[in-house]
Order: sequence, then structure tokens, then C-alpha cells
Amino acid sequence: MNGQSVTPSLPTGKSLKPSMFSRGARRSALGLVMVLPSFFLLLFMIVVPIFTSIQESLKGNDGNFTWDNYKYLFTDPAMSSSIKYTIHLTVVSSIMVLVIAYLLAVFLRFSTGRLAKWIERLYYIPMFIPSVIATYGMINMYGNHGWLARIMLLFTNEPFMRIIYDYKGLLLANLWFNIPFATMLLSSALSSIPNSAIEGAKDVGAGKIQIFIRIILPLSFKSMLVAATFVVMGVIGSFTAPFLIGPNAPQVLGVAMQQQFSVYFETGIASACAVFMFAICSLVGYFYIRSMMKEER
Amino acid sequence: MRIISGFKQKGKLLLLTSLAAFTLLAGCSSNAGNGDGSASSKDASATGNGSTEIAFYFSGSQNVQELWGHLKEMYEKKQDKVKVKLVYIPSGQGEQATMNRIVAAKRAGKDTVDVDLYEANGGPDLIADKKDSVFEALNEQQIPNLSLMNPANMEDVGHKAVPYRSSSVLLAYNSAKVSAPPKTLDELYDWIHQHPGRFAYNDPSTGGSGSSFVMTTLYKSLPEEAIHSQDESIVQQWDPGFAKLKELSKDMYQQGVYPKKNQGTLDLLANGEVDMIPAWSDMALEQLNKKLLPDTTKLAQIEPAFTGGPGLLAVPTMSQHKEAAYDFINFVLSPEAQAEVVNQIYGFPGIEWTHMPEELKKKFDNVSVDYRSFNIGELGAIANKRWQSEVASQ
Repeated sequence: MNGQSVTPSLPTGKSLKPSMFSRGARRSALGLVMVLPSFFLLLFMIVVPIFTSIQESLKGNDGNFTWDNYKYLFTDPAMSSSIKYTIHLTVVSSIMVLVIAYLLAVFLRFSTGRLAKWIERLYYIPMFIPSVIATYGMINMYGNHGWLARIMLLFTNEPFMRIIYDYKGLLLANLWFNIPFATMLLSSALSSIPNSAIEGAKDVGAGKIQIFIRIILPLSFKSMLVAATFVVMGVIGSFTAPFLIGPNAPQVLGVAMQQQFSVYFETGIASACAVFMFAICSLVGYFYIRSMMKEER
Repeated sequence: MRIISGFKQKGKLLLLTSLAAFTLLAGCSSNAGNGDGSASSKDASATGNGSTEIAFYFSGSQNVQELWGHLKEMYEKKQDKVKVKLVYIPSGQGEQATMNRIVAAKRAGKDTVDVDLYEANGGPDLIADKKDSVFEALNEQQIPNLSLMNPANMEDVGHKAVPYRSSSVLLAYNSAKVSAPPKTLDELYDWIHQHPGRFAYNDPSTGGSGSSFVMTTLYKSLPEEAIHSQDESIVQQWDPGFAKLKELSKDMYQQGVYPKKNQGTLDLLANGEVDMIPAWSDMALEQLNKKLLPDTTKLAQIEPAFTGGPGLLAVPTMSQHKEAAYDFINFVLSPEAQAEVVNQIYGFPGIEWTHMPEELKKKFDNVSVDYRSFNIGELGAIANKRWQSEVASQ
């Protein structure tokens, strides 16, 4: 658009110089300046590290180009079982988080009881508890000699099932860390559904299930997608809980990556691992961004 | 609808930030090794009023930092000729850079370096010294208190450093459940098999006590010199050791759960989930003293001993303030300073127990100070890797 004012054949005959200092140009310059910090942040915190890790992951020990690190990632039995384990854990945790968070959000939106009020006040507390502390709390609660085991001892002499150092423990940790945020996102989406729309549907004879499927679900679907994105990325990148209460093998990718990097000093494999994780996250992010763009159109 | 679109914007921002977090992790790979000792001091010299300042570079955990802060204070209160400037490099943040700097200065033919005293780390630094001879040889004329030490300890490090403290991995056990602790490695294996689920060692890649158990098992039937060999061909001879570890795993805590970090197993011992673990002497003693471990917890060493190691003080040959550094080392070896080592970080004293205060002698009566130092360099990483693929994921 600026290009038009530059062409000399324009009837106004304005020269180039004053147009450069026009109000619009000044404003766009200001905008540019304001965008710069986040641009540099993006550049140095995201773009540059991505390229260095891609570069690092394609380098062998002799410094030459090689696909070996990626081959190792998918052929080494320990590594590939870790990858499968991580993906399995991510999918299962994410579905469980979303289902529970959605039910909780629906309950909070439509229930006027005292219970709903209390849950509304308390449900985001886990977000404010540091992950290390929460993880140790989990060990105390679900551990072999934990509170739950002691309570169970009152009823049965059967040995307590293994939760900590197991898949189940990681699942519980993921629920703890992710449900509050997902619930927050979903309940804000649900609270923006006007009561009038629901009442209107009721008036024309829609049942509860129909209202849910025709009105509530479509209106909160976008937020669900947003929540899913964050939950998947949060789970796949988790480290503290899996490190402290995860099984020794197979490991979650974050733990495996740390081990490759700082125990075995295999920078290339660790980088390949990071790139792989990034690829999964960008895939999830892609669906999210695409759906956002669709809406804008 | 406004809220939704608000979240949309926020969502994008959060998406970007979380992407940033991921790539930060990835970015670590290329940034490691940049943490060089930029905390160098240009003015670690005479301070004008007749006193000398020595620059002391050390690294370690927070307890070590506190110990040195305390010793410096004691020392400077005692005399006013020498001041100590502590340069602390948290462990894992480029402690190697100090040594690299000393060696580089030597190779570049410089005649000074601004490191007057350096807490060396056992194997690699002493090997580097053999090649470039960067440390001063120490004797009793320079540091009279060396006479309080067991001469063999100075022999071990070729008189190039002072082992001023040590710690080792021991068996920590619950004496209420275990009346007679195993005395040898074979007895320990038998005990583990007889008491399934009551023994745990931590993932060797996450802490020295678990690593010590693994290495001691791997080198069980190998010749004594093997623990100082960095020759990769020895890796084949680990096979029986790994077979043993695999065999043991079904009788380990929860049929083969190896907690993370040294503290992971100590926690299990503390709440009674297991009865015996390998543990670092200093960690176990400190937690016993703070009542974090039950009073029934006792410590014992087996034969052959688990690994351990000394903390070493070395004086670079190019230091400009050697005399002052000797004087400080002499103070560190005095019984009063050694008592602080015992009391503050629960290390074993560098000088012989006979010179230590009576009440400390009584307190640590039953704790043996035997240990073996493994010096196998990069082989440790190979062992961890094999442990992960063969023992952890069997």
C-alpha cells in the first residue's frame, strides 16, 4: 500500500519524502519497534536453538553429516520403547485430562450447589504448587508405605499395588498437573455460552442431550482444541515427575533425553530426541493454528 | 464470545512460550560448555596493607561452599597476614574450566596464574598434572601439619595434592531388622536373595552410591589394578558382573525399582520400605544427625570396600602466593578445622583420628574409613549405558 504513494504519476503529486514521515508511516515504525523485542525473543529463544539442535542432531561424532542419531532413536530397542511409552502415556493422559476437565467444567457451569462453589474455589490450587513438591507429595500419598497404603492396610493384607515408579504414578501426576489449567480454559469457554441460547433451545423442546450436542459441545469445541494442545505439550515435555517417580525403563522422552545429554554425553542423540519432540509438538500446534485461522476467515 | 477470543490470543502466546520452553531444552545441547570460569579475578594479589590475598577455586555442593565460607572466617580471625578469596563454581557448571585455565596458562608459557589454591578432582586433574606438571609438590617443611596425616594418603596422590577430607559409600542398614550386616560382597548378595524386596540401590547414572554398588559388582572378580584402567577392552570382562546385577534385580526393591538420586534410596530406608542400601557416608551421617533417618540406622563397610574419594587441595606451580596458600592448607589440616569438616559436612578427616577431638572420636567410632577410588574415566558412562539397557530394561 505504501508503494502507491511512491509512484510519481499519482495525481496528488506528493513527493516521496513527506510520505515517509506521514502519520501512518510513523505509526507503523512505532509498531515495528514494539514488535522487535518479541521478534528477537522468538529468534534467539526459538528459531536459533531449533536450528542448532537440528544441526547438532545431524552431526556424527566425527563432525560429518549423518542420519545415525535418528536411526539410533528409532532402532535402539531402549530408545524406541521409550518413544512408544511416551506417546502412549501422552495420548492416554491427554484423553483422561480432557474428559475429566470437561466434565468438571460442565459441572461448574451448570451446577449452582455448594459443592460446585467449593470446587470452583479450589480446583486451580495444583497450579500453584511447585512440581517437585507435588511429586514428593505423591510419593508420600501413593508410595509403598504411603498414606493410601496405610489406610488400605486397615481393610486388607494384600500387598499394595505399585503406583509410584510405574505408569500409573505418571498418569496420576499428569492428571494433577494438567487438569486445573484445562478446566480453567474450558470453563471460561462454557461460561461464555449465553443462558438465553440454552433456554431458547429448551423452549422449542430440545432435550438435555440434544442441548449438549447441538449447543454446548460446538460452542466449546475450539477451547477443547486449545486445551488439548496444551495438555499434549505439557505431558510430552514433562520431566520432574517422570524423573522422580517414573520407572527405570522404559523412560519418558524428557528423562531419556537428559540422560543421553548429561550422563552419556551423546549430544547428537539428545538433539535428535529434542527435534523429534519438537516435531510432535509442532504437529499438534499445526492443527491448533489451522483451526484458529479457519475461524478468522 | 469475547472471552473465547481473549483466550485465543492468550493461547497463541502461551503456545509460543511453551514452544520456547521446548526448544530451550533442545538448545541446551549446544550451549553446554560455555560456563567457563569467567569469574576470574584480576586483582587477587597484595591488598596493600601488608596482607596477601589468595584466590581459592573450588566447586561442589552447597554444603562444601558453606564449609569453606566457615573455614575462611575462622582462618582470617586467627591471623591477619593472609586473606582468602573464595571462588565457588557450583558443581556441574564448568568446574573443569579452572583446571583447563591452569593447564592452558602453563602451556602458553606464562609464569603466573591467578589461581593460588585449587580443589582438584581426583582422577582427571592428577593425570593432567602428570602430563603438564602444573601442581607444586608438597612436603612437611612447607606444611607442618602434613605430619598429622597417614603418609600413605599423600603417597597415593604423589605428594601433588592434599587429601584434606574424604567420604565413601557404605552400607546403611536398619539395625532393628538386620542384626549382623554382611561383611563381604558375596554375603551381601546372599542377604539380598534371602530378603527379597528389602534392598535398593539408586539408578547409577543419578548418584554415586548406586554407581558404587554397580561398579563394585562389575569389578568383583577382576584384578585389583583394573579399577585404575581406562582401557576400553575391559568392557567385555564386565559381562559376569552385569549377569549378577540382572540376577539380583528380581530380589531388589519391588522386583527391580531403582530410585533416582542418592536421596531416593535414603528416603526408602528412612520410611522403612527397605532395610539396606548403599549410601554416601556424609549424607547418611548428616541425616542421622538431623533425625531424618531413624536412630536404628547403622553404617558398615564391606570387603572389598565400596568406592569413595578424597577432596584434594592443590597449589598451582605458577601461583604467586604459594607461601600464603601453604599456610592456609596448614590451617585446614589443623585439628580444629578438621573437626569442622566432620561436624559441618560429615566428611572423614584428612588427618588421622588420633589427632581429632575426643568427643568426635567417640561419635564416629564404628564408621570405617576404608574405600577404593575407581579411576576409570569415560568407562563410567559406558557402564551406565549398559546398565540402563541391560539391567533397567530387562
